[in-house]
Amino acid sequence: MSIDWITVAAQIVNFLVLVWLLKRFLYRPILDGIDAREREIAERMAQAGAIRAKAEAAEAEFRAQITKLKAGREGVIAQAREVAARARDEMLAQASARVAREQAARAEERAKEVRKYSADLHAKGAAAFLALLRKALHDLGDESLEQRIVTRAIGRMPDMMRDLTDAAGSSDTAVIVTHDPLSQDLAAELTAALQAAKPGLKVVFQADPAQSPGLSLRLGGAQLGWTVDSYIDGLKKMLGRQEHAHAQ
Amino acid sequence: MELTPDTTIILTVFGFGINATIVFTWVVMAMLTLASMLITRKLRPDVPPDRWRTTLEAIVLTIQGQIDEISARPDRRLLYFAGTLFLFIVTSNLLMVVPGWHSPTASLSTTAALALAVLVAVPLFGIGQRGLKVYLHNYLEPNIIMLPFNIIGEASRGISLAIRLYGNVMSGAVIAAILLGVAPFFFPVVMDMLGLLTGVIQAYIFAILATVYISSATAPAEPETEPAKDAP
Repeated sequence: MSIDWITVAAQIVNFLVLVWLLKRFLYRPILDGIDAREREIAERMAQAGAIRAKAEAAEAEFRAQITKLKAGREGVIAQAREVAARARDEMLAQASARVAREQAARAEERAKEVRKYSADLHAKGAAAFLALLRKALHDLGDESLEQRIVTRAIGRMPDMMRDLTDAAGSSDTAVIVTHDPLSQDLAAELTAALQAAKPGLKVVFQADPAQSPGLSLRLGGAQLGWTVDSYIDGLKKMLGRQEHAHAQ
Repeated sequence: MELTPDTTIILTVFGFGINATIVFTWVVMAMLTLASMLITRKLRPDVPPDRWRTTLEAIVLTIQGQIDEISARPDRRLLYFAGTLFLFIVTSNLLMVVPGWHSPTASLSTTAALALAVLVAVPLFGIGQRGLKVYLHNYLEPNIIMLPFNIIGEASRGISLAIRLYGNVMSGAVIAAILLGVAPFFFPVVMDMLGLLTGVIQAYIFAILATVYISSATAPAEPETEPAKDAP
């Protein structure tokens, strides 16, 4: 067992060189690499932490917004329901009013139609009645209605003339109004009857289409009439009763 | 039978004989340096580590962890020194299984050189860490009478380091050589396996002791504790 001091010195130098070499090519690269990687990991962890914190903040914000929206949704739904109910009521009221108006219009139209129909029926009924009356008189008595009316009026003239003269006062013109112009025979016959009842009486004949068949005698303020008005009215009342019974 | 590779001259340069200890030391140095260079040449933070780099990192971090456990003041320079000691010794010892290999650590010159390096490193680290005055004051602790004993203790550390490593490695090689002559088929293999284990342990012990010595020299002074009061 001996020590070679030259070898010792060489080994010391060798060892120091090896220390430098390993420091240069092993320790420093490895440790620097580890440090760099740890720094990178730390940075990434910090970034991940920041991102996580940001994500958590965003999540909290979204949750708050969702809660707010949920709370607001109930209010919105209630408000929408209220608005919808109000709109529904308004539309129903408008529809009801429109239906009522339409019903009233239809009722009025129907009433108008009924009135028109009734008036038309009455008029046609009256015309038919007059036509039948004229035909019956002509067929059965060989007379016209006007002729029969004038004959009747002349027959009653002596009885009625006293009251008529009292009511007429000083008037000396009698006005005879008929629906159609009277024939000259009837006019002369009527004039003679009047002047017989009141001598010096002036007789004027007038035709008025609005006048119902028959004649009316006006003397001053007094007036006498032999017309079919009352019969026509009776016919109309009878038709009206029939219509009422049919409607019910 | 050669007990030390110092006497084996491998080559002669400018009239100086280069013995096997130095040549095989260079081989170990070249292997360690080349392996380090090859593994760390593409070392960048953005490149994922491969298995070799991971292995190196594991080795370096294990050494660093051991130093951190021992030293109160972890220092990279201590890693460079103690780590190199460990890697050099363990590589030299493990390569004993290679036929024809002359382990440099089987030379007392090498172990003495390493021990001397530790002996020099201890005060250098101590002075560098704590200052010259504080370091030298340690030799006077607990009083000036202890100065020669402290110096002897410091020297004996180096001697014990050198002798322990040399004795273990050299004896392992010698015993394996003897058993090779007696029972060449089985016992040398067992002894070589035992030698590998012993070599690793010796490298660990040498590096750890060097770390302990340097750490004790660089450790901060302990605060003076108050004397315990007598119990009433």
